[in-house]
Amino acid sequence: MSSPVTIWRSHKKLSAYLNKEGRLVIWTKIYVAPVGFEHQVPYLVGIVQFDPPAGGERMPLQIVDCEEQDLKVNQKVVTVIRRIGKTKSEDVIEYGLKVKPRS
Amino acid sequence: MKIKVLGTGLTKFGELWDKSLFDLAQEASLEAIKDSGLSPNQIDAVFVGNMIYGKVSNQDHLGPTIASQLNIKGAALRIEGACASGGLAVHLAIQSILAQTYKNVLVVGVEKMTDISVSQVTSALMGAGSEEERRAGLTFPALYALMAKAHMQKYGTTKKQMAQVAVKNHFHGSLNNKAQFPYEVSLEKALNSPCICDPLNLFDASPITDGAAAVVLNADTSKRGVFITGSAVATDTVDLSSRESLTEIKATREACQKALKQTGCQIKDVNVCEVHDCFTIAEILAMEDLGFCKKGEGAEFIEKGTTKLGGKIPVNTSGGLKACGHPVGATGVKQIVELTWQLRGSAGSRQVKDAKVGLAQNVGGTGATVVVHVLQN
Repeated sequence: MSSPVTIWRSHKKLSAYLNKEGRLVIWTKIYVAPVGFEHQVPYLVGIVQFDPPAGGERMPLQIVDCEEQDLKVNQKVVTVIRRIGKTKSEDVIEYGLKVKPRS
Repeated sequence: MKIKVLGTGLTKFGELWDKSLFDLAQEASLEAIKDSGLSPNQIDAVFVGNMIYGKVSNQDHLGPTIASQLNIKGAALRIEGACASGGLAVHLAIQSILAQTYKNVLVVGVEKMTDISVSQVTSALMGAGSEEERRAGLTFPALYALMAKAHMQKYGTTKKQMAQVAVKNHFHGSLNNKAQFPYEVSLEKALNSPCICDPLNLFDASPITDGAAAVVLNADTSKRGVFITGSAVATDTVDLSSRESLTEIKATREACQKALKQTGCQIKDVNVCEVHDCFTIAEILAMEDLGFCKKGEGAEFIEKGTTKLGGKIPVNTSGGLKACGHPVGATGVKQIVELTWQLRGSAGSRQVKDAKVGLAQNVGGTGATVVVHVLQN
């Protein structure tokens, strides 16, 4: 799990991606999760291609606020800030990027 | 380049609750040393391939821990390259022999994975992914599921074709008493197994396995035997989403071309092959990226029976990662052991007739590390 300082460092980069639009390249639904994500199963994760000027780069992100049948290839999505995984009570709660379909 | 495989050793693969990592490493190593005809004090160096043991057990420093158990006084170190740790250890052992630093080198790949829970194993293996992938809650089945989905969309590969890879490898595994699952499975059973990550079912995935494999290598070229004649490594981005293509593992193509160039052989000269079928889609990608068939035709190539025992180019005669099992650090070394047995003509009921050239492809992560070895007799 991430420590406060690693979360702080990653957030410096994260701010550039707030409320960014991108396209869904491909996605999958996960039924067997790693530690910290078990409570979310099943959940959707996809590869998102960001539109310029956010660099035009690709990133793997969880897809939230939708059902799988609502998704299609090249779907427009937008980044949102959400809690990442589940932490122990004494750990820092980590927030990071996810995407939802653009309404 | 001509490095002799002087000795081989292999433990049973499976859920081996009564055996520790060190029991397994010792068993495979002693068998390989005995097979080589050398005594432990003639071994100059021990290269250990292992990925997750330090992380899940708190025991690091595996090189001297294993070497001292074997009464070997030379250099000893552990090599990590995710699921390609074993293949990388073989590659580095070869380089050390070619550099004339060491003469007789023991390579032992070992992993102990069943002492911890499935989510702990899943998390430990995600150490081979990128930080972004871990933060997205991705798993290795999920990453290969993304590649499978992309391949299905682009080339029309089907779930049935993927399941056929598992059926073939289980058939091969049924002929290998060291395999974790030494029995056949039907296409229906594979297709109807539970979904772990859409579109991959349980039978598309290699299992969680304990096991060890070992080889003794040296530069002796005077006698007959089995020789490693090509050894190459290629790398790519660790993050899958940053790759140019989701439907190929470019590092496979690059490592294969480099390794074949060292030998003077071409891919069509290969008679027997061990590839990294961590998921069924990975074997389909391997067929295409190694150049056995055109891009997009991997599934059909396997479906036709070309890669089944008795076919033109039998692939994963050991049962592959799917049926023989996948103790991650051991897999790359096990591939060399299986090919050595095939080229010695000692593979028993799964012997490929007149095998002369063998090729092993060992993948780390989703293709950030690929090691390819070519063996000849």
